[in-house]
Amino acid sequence: MNDTFIVSIVTFLYFLSAFIFLVSVVFRKDNAEKIATVVAVGGLMLHSLALIIRWIHSYQLGIGHAPLSNFYESLVFFSWSIVFIFLLIRKQYKNSLISMFSVFFAFLILAYVSLSNTLDCQIQPLIPALQSNWLISHVISSFLAYGCFAIAFGLSILYLLKKIINNNIVNLLPDTAFLDEITYKIISIGFVLLTLGIITGAAWADRAWGRYWGWDPKETWSLITWFIYGAFLHARLARGWRGIRMSLISIVGFACVVFTYLGVNYILAGLHSYLEY
Amino acid sequence: MKTKIYDLLSSVKLTVTLFLVIAASSIFGTIIEQGLTPDKYRQIFGETFFHVLKFFNIFDLYHSWWFTFLLILLSVNLIACTLKQIPRVAKITIKSGKKIDDSLFTSSQIMNTLYFKEPQSDIEKRVSLFLKSISNSLTRVSNNGVFYYFIEKGKFSRFGMILVHVSVLFIFAGGLIGAIWGFGGQMNLVEGGKSDTVYLFGNEGTKKLDFYVACDNFSLKYYKNGIPKEYKTVLTIINEDKEVFKSVIRVNHPLTYKGFKFSQASFGVAGAYNFRVKVINMTTKEENLLTLDMMNKVPVSGNDLSFAVARFESDYMGQGPAALGVLIKPGEEHDIFWLNKNSPIQRGDYVFMLNDFDIVYYSGIQVNKDPGVILVWIGFILIIVGFISSIFFEHIRVWVRVSTEKEGCEISIAASTSKNKDIFKEKINRMITEYLEGETA
Repeated sequence: MNDTFIVSIVTFLYFLSAFIFLVSVVFRKDNAEKIATVVAVGGLMLHSLALIIRWIHSYQLGIGHAPLSNFYESLVFFSWSIVFIFLLIRKQYKNSLISMFSVFFAFLILAYVSLSNTLDCQIQPLIPALQSNWLISHVISSFLAYGCFAIAFGLSILYLLKKIINNNIVNLLPDTAFLDEITYKIISIGFVLLTLGIITGAAWADRAWGRYWGWDPKETWSLITWFIYGAFLHARLARGWRGIRMSLISIVGFACVVFTYLGVNYILAGLHSYLEY
Repeated sequence: MKTKIYDLLSSVKLTVTLFLVIAASSIFGTIIEQGLTPDKYRQIFGETFFHVLKFFNIFDLYHSWWFTFLLILLSVNLIACTLKQIPRVAKITIKSGKKIDDSLFTSSQIMNTLYFKEPQSDIEKRVSLFLKSISNSLTRVSNNGVFYYFIEKGKFSRFGMILVHVSVLFIFAGGLIGAIWGFGGQMNLVEGGKSDTVYLFGNEGTKKLDFYVACDNFSLKYYKNGIPKEYKTVLTIINEDKEVFKSVIRVNHPLTYKGFKFSQASFGVAGAYNFRVKVINMTTKEENLLTLDMMNKVPVSGNDLSFAVARFESDYMGQGPAALGVLIKPGEEHDIFWLNKNSPIQRGDYVFMLNDFDIVYYSGIQVNKDPGVILVWIGFILIIVGFISSIFFEHIRVWVRVSTEKEGCEISIAASTSKNKDIFKEKINRMITEYLEGETA
């Protein structure tokens, strides 16, 4: 079966899951929450299957490589990371509204992938610079970090909504202190993964270009992101910052993530742009 | 005054400020392209603004005096904070447990007191089972008929965060050494050529190696769709006219020799030879294939005309490879014209067409030396070890006091953790039910 076809089914499943989470929020049904989670788990399993099929397919084409090598593949994997991280930490908070936003975020990315006509979903051969054992560990750690930061971003937005407005829907959210705590936890996981992503990237750059750090825009922006989340953790752990200030840093941090991922390629030039992502 | 400065330098406020300032100023270096020529910058920014930006070294921002200052300040801050942390952690880890006093049972994170009717010896058995379910290294002290137990686990996890911070210092130190004693540059070697000169990046002149690097062969492979699949260079290291060894380098597979790292970076066309030019005499329809090298004059179809190739461009006016042909007629001015591959050009009675040629490539090799890189690798490994030990492990301490009362005995339990208190409290309560209260309940 074609992996892009499976991805379109997954897109639908994530939408369905988000919708059922919404139903569970509005009608306060625990059963709906369970069904939505099952749908999300099913979606993630199919999603993983699509990745595996694409991987196998690339070997059949004689250009075998992990499906993590161009913009299309990275978006599909980004979406996978968000759902993976969300399911991993779901037990910690068990709140349908947060779940809904996480799955919906993953859905939006896949919807863009399906609808965009500029994205090339063909399996392309790897250019020499990408033919490295570091590719898999670098991309996986970076995107799992991005997944954590994406969910933290959603949580921070919800936190601000809860602080600013006061209505029935917002009241369905857990209390602000709890949101604050869970945002901090997920950012600390993301920070460790980002560190790992930068380290594997540096090791790779050393192999490919003879230097581990060259201040190219992609490297610099990953470091900027690292500093922002580093500031977040230090402000919280050592200075005891809480609340609105923290959610603002988390939002700025995610803006940096998006810029590192997309802005550098489409707005700035650098070594990485010729690698396509 | 002195302590004020030390307090500032060891404050996390400074850390957070520096993080944000370094992050914000790094942005400029990604917006303004780094390392262009001064003239180019004058063109972009105009004379006055150019001087302002030049003063702040915006064109080589990451090596500017003020950016370096920020990084040094961050290192000093990091050292000061770590020095401040070490005694605190040492106090918790080394001294903990050695001194058990009664205040622990009224001031710990988790506290619990139980009463039992059984004799003390019976209860003590249960207490040691309870504690040994956590760890085997049990400490038992008695004082005036009161027994104190202490157990701890995961002490080292307290050092995790210190390790992470120390490893950042390793990385900084490695970076500093690399910046002072290392260099990076490029060497373009034509097939069959050799060189000992590296052109340093950032227009910083050249560097002579004390050996020669020769390019024996360069080869290219393409995928069906025209994307490069692999390019590789066969390199020979020549030391005092003797071949030391041969090695093949590819992208992602560099060669290291005497601390110099040679990486395959790029390639290009250095020139061409063995041009095959078809010449057709339009009146006689006679065809003739000339085979010639650069600047090598050959006669055209037996008469007094001759032809030569004077130059080669791999991409002439965006129309692909072309050779500059020179048609020589005795007593007349030379007729000079560009011949694009496979497109015929008529000159007088003759039509010329460049059929084919062989290309000489040059291999772009990046040469780097970085004596600090080993410290960076150590830093990377330590940072991972540090993260793992502080994420996946926790420092648990449990104290138990058993004292005989009028009827039975009293057990006081105190416990603390470096991690999530609530989860640990639940665990302790479960263990109390399982090991201590089990039969009495």
